Amino acid sequence: MQDAVLAMLAKEPAHGYNLRARLQRSLGPLGGSMNPGQIYVTLARLEKAGLVVCERADGLPERPDRKVYALTPAGQQRVAAWLAEVGWPKPDLAEFHLKLAAAAAARLADPVELVAAQRRELLRRLREVQRAALDEPAGPGAGLLLEGVVLRLQADLRWLAACERAWSANDDDEAEDA
Amino acid sequence: MNEPSPVVDVRGLVKHHGEGQGRVRAVDAVDLEVPQGQTLAVMGPSGCGKSTLLHLLGGLERPTGGEVRLAGRRIDTLGEPALARLRRRSVGFVFQAFHLVEELSAAENVELPALLAGCSRREARRRAGLLLERVGLADRARHLPSRLSGGQRQRVAIARALANDPLIVLADEPTGNLDTAATLEVLRIFEELRSAGQTLVIVTHDERVAATADRLISMRDGMFVDDTRLAGAGAGPVPEAGTGTGWLGGLIGLEG
Amino acid sequence: MGSIVLVARLVLADVRRHQVQAAMLLLAVTVATATMALGLSLRGVSDAMYEQTRAATAGPDVVALSGDTGPAVTSALAELADAPEVTAHHGPYQVVYADLTTRGSTSSPVVVQGFAETPGPLNRPLVTSGRWVRPGGAVLERGFATALGVGVGDHVTIAGRSYPVAGIAVTAATSIYPWAAQIGPYGGPSDYTGLAWMTRADARALASSRDLPVTTALDLKLRDPAATESFIDAHRVPITFHSWQFTAGQDMVILRNSQPILVVGSWLLGFLAVTGIAVLAAGRAVAQTRRAGLLKAVGATPGLIATVLLAEYLALALAGDALGLVIAHLTAPAVASPTASRIGGAAGPDGATVVAATVLAVAVAVLSALRPTLRAMRTATVRALSAPAHQPRHRPWLTALSALLPTPLLLGLRLTARRPGRAVLQACSTATTVIGIVALLVIGAQPERGYGLDGSSALPNLRGEHDRRVMLAVTVLLIALAVVNTITFTWTTAMEARANVAIARTLGATPSQISLGLSTAQLLPSLPGAVAGVPLGIGLCAMFTVGKWTLPPSSWLFGAALATLVVTAALTALPARLAARRPVAQALSAEST
Repeated sequence: MQDAVLAMLAKEPAHGYNLRARLQRSLGPLGGSMNPGQIYVTLARLEKAGLVVCERADGLPERPDRKVYALTPAGQQRVAAWLAEVGWPKPDLAEFHLKLAAAAAARLADPVELVAAQRRELLRRLREVQRAALDEPAGPGAGLLLEGVVLRLQADLRWLAACERAWSANDDDEAEDA
Repeated sequence: MNEPSPVVDVRGLVKHHGEGQGRVRAVDAVDLEVPQGQTLAVMGPSGCGKSTLLHLLGGLERPTGGEVRLAGRRIDTLGEPALARLRRRSVGFVFQAFHLVEELSAAENVELPALLAGCSRREARRRAGLLLERVGLADRARHLPSRLSGGQRQRVAIARALANDPLIVLADEPTGNLDTAATLEVLRIFEELRSAGQTLVIVTHDERVAATADRLISMRDGMFVDDTRLAGAGAGPVPEAGTGTGWLGGLIGLEG
Repeated sequence: MGSIVLVARLVLADVRRHQVQAAMLLLAVTVATATMALGLSLRGVSDAMYEQTRAATAGPDVVALSGDTGPAVTSALAELADAPEVTAHHGPYQVVYADLTTRGSTSSPVVVQGFAETPGPLNRPLVTSGRWVRPGGAVLERGFATALGVGVGDHVTIAGRSYPVAGIAVTAATSIYPWAAQIGPYGGPSDYTGLAWMTRADARALASSRDLPVTTALDLKLRDPAATESFIDAHRVPITFHSWQFTAGQDMVILRNSQPILVVGSWLLGFLAVTGIAVLAAGRAVAQTRRAGLLKAVGATPGLIATVLLAEYLALALAGDALGLVIAHLTAPAVASPTASRIGGAAGPDGATVVAATVLAVAVAVLSALRPTLRAMRTATVRALSAPAHQPRHRPWLTALSALLPTPLLLGLRLTARRPGRAVLQACSTATTVIGIVALLVIGAQPERGYGLDGSSALPNLRGEHDRRVMLAVTVLLIALAVVNTITFTWTTAMEARANVAIARTLGATPSQISLGLSTAQLLPSLPGAVAGVPLGIGLCAMFTVGKWTLPPSSWLFGAALATLVVTAALTALPARLAARRPVAQALSAEST
């Protein structure tokens, strides 16, 4: 969540409610479960950690919330590191999804490239598990557990393939628009 | 040291199906080198041209353009009889639908390529026996394909593909009709072939089959969109981060 | 009612989808039934034509003939003319035995009958061209004139004197050419003889000028024309009687061989039709079994399913039957009357002929459709819908045999091991063709006496010619059906083996190995067929030949069998080549879906 919010600020400084609206757009119906105050709690933590700075904006006197958040250089570094990160400890689909959306919006990285990198990593893991499984005899032993891991990785890989298709198509559309 | 020529060497390979408006570019300007002993998996959505690529490599179809070399020898210009001899001696095919001759027993199916290559009946029989043993089906030699399970049939087909000790084995969706257990049987045989140094190209849409290869090419619309080294010398463009099996604990819930 | 509509709809749809097969069934049944109907109706047509000629020429019921002259004969004939059963008579008149030579110096025995210049009420030959006899002018019997190639206005030399041909006529008083003499000189045996008429005076002059043999003849009309037998029995005098029934029967002599050729030929044709169509039907068995399963699934009874499957074959076979009967009817007068001695045409085919031809047509339909129909009815619904229709069987003996053979043969045998039944059909088909060819050779090899003077072949033996022509036609039909069969067999086999062919191609079999294999797999069963066809053909000829006959040289028979094999090989080559060259990738992907 923190990383996603940071990445969204990479495009341009933004109000908290702006950030919240963009998060909700990306997550769709899943975004409905988000606590309305959560974005501000997150931003406060990030500010405390020195990754974002808060500025008062002028020109909108009638709005009670006039804080605009922007990335600090440390925040920018953190965003870059996060984009390059391919760890998948527990498949957090929402996080990866937001990563792609943020990367695309801020033009920080090509989402298709991010998907490909993630895919390579997952394939490498699948390979390890699959080879381990080949050594196991059939039956209710470790092979069965490994089979479960294989199936989950396979599911993740299929979702990545879907991501790749969708973002590639998006690229093509934008190329045509330009 | 002299660099040995790759088993497969493809330059600017193009294959069109159909004519005029209905023309489909099944394979669209593809370059590919497969060194000796490599296991290459080709993945992609159906209709991306991966089966056509395999047919072109094995001389079952003729390219519209480009060059195909097998062990340094150009095959796209060969006549049909020469192509047939090439398939007989240098290429072994494995198919999704097994494609065994239903009227012949397992052993007789495995004998066929050797007999076609002019082996004596005794020699063909001996080789078939060894190959069936290698795929663990020595006790099923006299069975008709219809009496074998899917996995067993595919293993017979693999034994048949190996009958003339081919330069390269080309497998088209070899696990497409198989359940998990049979898939594992086939993967074990591929693993054994890999360690014996057999060059192998597998077209598949099964990630677990692709993941066991040394190298993975992704195809879309007749073109290669990704080429990844999963193992072996000369790692590809993959960052080495995140390797090790530490992640596994998290994935299966052993870590908080 | 509803089910009839359903059956009709399904049958029509099927015929539309399988037009080639429908055409083949129609053609084969038409050929077989036409041949059979023709063979069976020959006697009827011959009788009908005699009857029509008899009516048109006031033919006598009995002709009394005597080779003797003298008062005893004269009084015996006068007595006959006065017999109570006799209502009218013509004659006695003279029948003079002579030679006739045409301008083209063709010579033939001839009998000259002396007739009045104005014919009486009995035995009035019908003049078909020119006019009736006048002093110095002769009239020739039409069958004789046609064989000689002589027309009105030509001159012929009879016993050294030249006569203009005044007219051409037909009569029912004598048998057809060349049996016009009825009895020979002095009551002895007669040679092949033509008939001519002259005035009584001219005939008498002819007889006395050269002292030629003469027979005295008397035409009689009886009160009861059917009672010729009892009339002849009642008058046991040293006179030869020819009843009109005898003369009509004598007309059939010329057709004595044609009838068995046509009838046996129609059996062979029917047999070829069954083999060819059965193979085609077997090729469609999968689809038909599936369709039967579909119909069962929606609640059709086995009876309805059998009806649908059989109805198509029966409908086509009956259409072919009708067509065959029409063709037989149209060609019968030409086939039943090889001479021009009779007039008139054929009435419709008689009931027995129609029944026999229809039985043949139905038998062809049922025999070809029986196996697929039974299989479709027996197969359980679910299995019919899902399972491949043909369960492969392992034939280790075939595999073992093939291992001894060169690679293409090995391939051919192993790839087409599916249906040994088809090999039997192919062998039968080849044997049938060879039987036809052998019969043709046997008939061609028979020595025969020409109709000219002293058996000269300047006037050809019309019966032999007719036999050969009919046999040739039957053989051509047999060969045509066998050609269609061979192509069908090879193509069907190649289509069924296409998966195996594609597999063999991926394993490195060359197209020429495959096509050679497919060809030889077809040719192999033809070999015993051709070998068996020779003795079978000879046996068949022996069964239908009376008296002594000559075997053609064995080199001919061997050559016929060999030629059949060579042609079969050539015919299998094209479909096999086409099948072997189909793109492999396509065949494989079609197979896996």
